[in-house]
Amino acid sequence: MSEVSQLSRSRRPKWHYLAVGVGLIVVAIALTVAWGILAAPEAAGARGVAPARVIAYFFGSLMFLLLIAGLVLIVMLLLREVRLNERQSNFVSAVTHELKTPVASLKLYLETLEYRDVPPERRAEFYRTMRQDIERLNATINNVLNAAMYTDRPVADPRPLDLARLARHAAELTLTRHQLAKTAIRYAGPDSLRVAGDPQALETAVLNLLDNAVKYSKDKLMIELEVWGDADGQAHVRVRDHGIGMSRTQLPFIFTRFYRIGAEVRRSKTGTGLGLFIVRAIVKGHRGSITVDSPGPDRGSTFTITLPGLLEPESEANGAPEAARA
Amino acid sequence: MPRVLLVEDEEHLAAGIRFNLELDGYEVETIADGLRAVERLVPPPDGAAPAVAPAIDLVVLDVMLPGLDGFQIVERMRQAGNYTAVLMLTAKGLPEDVVEGLEAGADDYLPKPFDLPVLLARVKGLIRRREWARGAAGDAVKVGPAVVDFANFELRKGDEIVRLTLLEAMLLKLLVERRGQVVTKAEILEKVWNLNPDTETRAVDNFVMRLRRHLEEDARNPRLLLTVRGVGYRLAEE
Repeated sequence: MSEVSQLSRSRRPKWHYLAVGVGLIVVAIALTVAWGILAAPEAAGARGVAPARVIAYFFGSLMFLLLIAGLVLIVMLLLREVRLNERQSNFVSAVTHELKTPVASLKLYLETLEYRDVPPERRAEFYRTMRQDIERLNATINNVLNAAMYTDRPVADPRPLDLARLARHAAELTLTRHQLAKTAIRYAGPDSLRVAGDPQALETAVLNLLDNAVKYSKDKLMIELEVWGDADGQAHVRVRDHGIGMSRTQLPFIFTRFYRIGAEVRRSKTGTGLGLFIVRAIVKGHRGSITVDSPGPDRGSTFTITLPGLLEPESEANGAPEAARA
Repeated sequence: MPRVLLVEDEEHLAAGIRFNLELDGYEVETIADGLRAVERLVPPPDGAAPAVAPAIDLVVLDVMLPGLDGFQIVERMRQAGNYTAVLMLTAKGLPEDVVEGLEAGADDYLPKPFDLPVLLARVKGLIRRREWARGAAGDAVKVGPAVVDFANFELRKGDEIVRLTLLEAMLLKLLVERRGQVVTKAEILEKVWNLNPDTETRAVDNFVMRLRRHLEEDARNPRLLLTVRGVGYRLAEE
């Protein structure tokens, strides 16, 4: 009930425009049908009908069909615009919240320390809180900057890198950032798996996936991180969580910029709706692909990155040329 | 000791605000979820087990909350007849957000990030304004066909009892205290809403409309709560 009222409050005006568009299409179709019925018997039935009449009938029908096609196109573009608009306004809301909340908290604790006589043990706790707020602020800023920096354009300067080590490092960073037990993320994969790419970008991608897995895991924190290479020369990174998952209808949208599940004002998870968009941009920049699968809400999600360009093990690990090793 | 309910899902902010309010002598209860806040603030419809928990003097309410947003919480509180003073805190600080909050039934509004002394002053102010609205003008005042009981924020008209929000009570009290004189809109905004007198809002007009529905025979042709065009409002002498 509350959800409906919230949605109708924010979406009503836009749906009005769409309703007008759909109404126009219906009118155009009705006109076309009427034209067909009224003009056709004469054109098709009677013999000695002037060819000019037949041509007029043919072009008239064509014009009607073009009109309908044009209207459908306009409505589709409008629908796309409406969705983008909605996501952008969600993004502004989310970023406002993500930037202002830690700033408000920092300000509150600074002023508390300034105006109040805070006992030393509480003081230490306040400093810890303030450091976490700065981390959160920094993460949001990085997210926004990364979204602008990583585009689908191919990586300019791919370098050999160890994807397995990179993934393990991302896992360690995630454990530290979220203050998790070591068992929260389980790694399965080789000690080393070499691919060509941008190490910083790929680490951002794996970090974003792990970060999401933690964020959407509810109480049961059990994340599986797998890395493997296949016979086709492709490398894979898979992040699986047992968290809130998602429905089939949400799956196609989750890599879209600013997309977040649910209404912004009742948000329970922090974020800007940029994380997965950045992951996809990075993966595309490496000519790779990313897939997501979820059996349904509350049944976890699995993200799999596939990257081409698997390198021979140790091929350039010590700077040794291939020929020398062979 | 006044009791404050703090509804805030951001753990750090909640802990910091709580620390400061407790130092200022308030008892503080915190809730991090919109739905749980409604459970605490809105009595169940069957009237069973009405508040076992202690009564609350002020709600400090965030807007963006999991479960149910702050605007909806205030709306539900007011619909259910809970007129506890509400101070809304939110990252959305645009004038239209402020107005939306006030129109939803909040009594005051503070955008994040806020100054600590301002927050504490607003909390104190709301509790004091409540006392002002309650006291002084006599407990029960006759306004047209109704009797307004400021001590209980109630308006009685025959058998009908209408509960007033803090802002409604304050607006009515200001008009009662200055009965026969014009009270400007700017003054109302400043004294009742605690807003800059230049703020563009229909909130005052909406509140006057609501009061007229209770006080006038015909709200469209008011004889008691009169509009003084371009200036403000006047409560007619009886």
